[in-house]
Amino acid sequence: MSTGDTITLKVEFSGGLELLFSNQRSHKLSVPALVPKKYGDASSETKPADITFLIHYLRDNLLKERVELFMESDTVRPGILVLVNDTDWELEGEGDYSLKAGDEIVFISTLHGG
Amino acid sequence: MTSCGNPATEQDALMHRRTKFDKARVCIKCRENPGNVVIRHAVYCKECFFPMMAGKFRKTLEPAVNPVPDGPRKKGLKPAGNLCLGFSGGLGSSVLLDLVSRSYFSTYAGEDAKGGTDHPRNTSVWKKATVCYVEICGALPGTRDRTNEVRAVVERYKHFDFVPLRIEDAFDDAWWEMVGGRRPEAHFNVDLADEELPMTSAPAASTDSIAALRAYIASLPTQTAVPSTIQTLVRLLLLHTAWATESSHLLLGTSLTSLSVSLISSISQGGGYVVREEAQEEWQPTVHIGAKRTVRVNRPLRDLGMKECAVWAWWHGLDVIGKENILGGRQGIGALTKNFIVGLERDYPSTVSTIARTCSKLAPKDGADTTCVLCERPAQPGVQEWKARISIRSFDEPALVSPPPHLKKVLVPKRESQAEAAPQHSLTPRLCYACHTTLTSRSSRGSTSVSAHANSTPLPVWVVSQLGSGDGEQWRSRKMEESDMKASLAEFLLPDS
Repeated sequence: MSTGDTITLKVEFSGGLELLFSNQRSHKLSVPALVPKKYGDASSETKPADITFLIHYLRDNLLKERVELFMESDTVRPGILVLVNDTDWELEGEGDYSLKAGDEIVFISTLHGG
Repeated sequence: MTSCGNPATEQDALMHRRTKFDKARVCIKCRENPGNVVIRHAVYCKECFFPMMAGKFRKTLEPAVNPVPDGPRKKGLKPAGNLCLGFSGGLGSSVLLDLVSRSYFSTYAGEDAKGGTDHPRNTSVWKKATVCYVEICGALPGTRDRTNEVRAVVERYKHFDFVPLRIEDAFDDAWWEMVGGRRPEAHFNVDLADEELPMTSAPAASTDSIAALRAYIASLPTQTAVPSTIQTLVRLLLLHTAWATESSHLLLGTSLTSLSVSLISSISQGGGYVVREEAQEEWQPTVHIGAKRTVRVNRPLRDLGMKECAVWAWWHGLDVIGKENILGGRQGIGALTKNFIVGLERDYPSTVSTIARTCSKLAPKDGADTTCVLCERPAQPGVQEWKARISIRSFDEPALVSPPPHLKKVLVPKRESQAEAAPQHSLTPRLCYACHTTLTSRSSRGSTSVSAHANSTPLPVWVVSQLGSGDGEQWRSRKMEESDMKASLAEFLLPDS
C-alpha cells in the first residue's frame, strides 16, 4: 500500500536465493516512492522507485552474505529470474519498471548449487 | 539506454534499449492474453506456457522410447524395460520428475480415467519407475547429506521407487555385487604421479570405501579434475543402477543451458570424441552382466532452458532443494564455462541453443573399437601416440633437446626408449583421451595439493572388474618360488633319464 512517501511491496526469494536473505522466502517492505536517480547520491535528481533501486535496496538492507551471488554490474546476476506480479520483468522494462503499491516482486535463482 | 553518440549535445544520441521480445506483449500462441514470460524472444501467457513446455518435453523424449529410435509411433510407446530417473535435487531434475509424473503416470488407472482402463491414455508407458539419487557429500568434506530431503521430495510422487546411493559406492565391492557384478578377485592401485599410470596389485580390497574415494579424489592433479571425476562416478553409478533395475531408459534432468555447459566443458577437457554421447547415448556394461541389453540415456529437457524450468517450478510450486556446487573453485573449467554460458543466455538467449544444435551435428571421423575402462564411453584409437607427438609433457622431452635434423636418423628418440622401459601394466592404454587427461594433466595454476596417495590410488570397482575380467589383458605379478615354477611347468617337463 502506498502511504504518500512510501510504497509497500511483497518481495519473495526462491531457488536458493532465500539462503542469502536470512533463509526467509517472503518479505514485506516499504520503500520510498521517489528515489535519487543515482543510487546513494541524495543530491542527484529524483525518479520514481524502480526495480534497479529495489535491487540496491535489498543488497544494502536485507542481504546477509555473498553479494556476488545476487548482484553484478548494477543489476541481478545472470541466472536470476525476476517476476513482477507473476510476469517476466523482461516484459515490464526490466530494471526501469516503476514500482507500484502492492506489487509482488519475485527473485528466482536458476543456479541453485551446481 | 545505449549510448551511440554524445548525449550531452545530441538529443537523439541515446537509443532506446532493444526489448527482449520480438513483437508485441501478447502471447504468440493464443494471440489473446497478455504475455507472462519471454522465452528466447517469444512471448507466452501462463495458460499457453504449460502445454508448450510439456509438448517440447514429450517431443524430445518419445521418439527415443521405443527400441528402434525415431521409429513410427503410431502403435504407441512400448519401451523394452523399466524407467530410471537420475535425480540430483537441482532445478532440472526436479522439473523432470514432475513432468514425467504428470505426462506418463498421474493419469494411470485413476478413478476418473477416461476411455476405460485399456485405453492407451490410461496405461503406464513404463511398468516400473525408479528414482536414483547419488549423495556426493562423501567426496566433498564439509557438505551436508541431503538424502532425507530428496527422499521426502520423491515420496510425494507415488509411482516412483527411491534408490539412494552414495558416491563412495563406486569403491564398494558389496554395491558392485548388488548391481550384478562379480566381486573382483584382485585389486589394483594406480600411480597418478606417472603419466603411464602404472598399476600395482593391492594387497586386498579396501574395506573403507569412503577412504578409497577420498584417496582417489585427493590424488587428482587439478581443480578441474575433481568435478569431472565426480560427474563420471555419478554417471556410472546411475547407469549401473539403471541396468540393475532392468531399465531401458535413464532420464537425466539436463536442461538446454546445462547441456551447453557440459558440451563446452567436456570439449575443453578433451572429450570432443564423445560429444554425441554427452547429449544421448546407448550404454551397456563393459563387463558382461546378465542378458544383452542396453540402457538408453536421454535428456528430455535438452530443448528447454533453465529459465523455462525455473518458471515451471515456480508456477507449479515445486520444492527445489538444490544440489552441492561440485564445480567448486572459480578457476575450474566447469565453473568458468557455466559462468560464460549463463551470461550468454541472459544477453543472447538464442546462442545457447545454437551451441547444443551445432554439437548435435558433430560426429567423430573414425569409429571406436575400444571403450574406456573408467568412463565406459568410446575411446579414440591411437590417442596416446598422438598425444605424445603433439604436446610437450615435460622439459626433458626430446622436442626440447632435439638434435639437428641431419642427426635425427642416427639417434634413437628418447620417447621410444621410454616406451620400451614403460611399465608393463599400465592403465593408460585403456583410457580415453579425456579420462587420461583428467587423471594426469598438470595445471600451471590452481593445482590441488600434492597427495600422499598419488602413488597408490585405488580404482573404482568397475575398472577393477574390467582389468581382472579376462576380456582384456589379465595379469597379476608376484614373485614365484622355484618350486612353484617347477610345479606349473611339471606336465611339460621330460623326466630325468
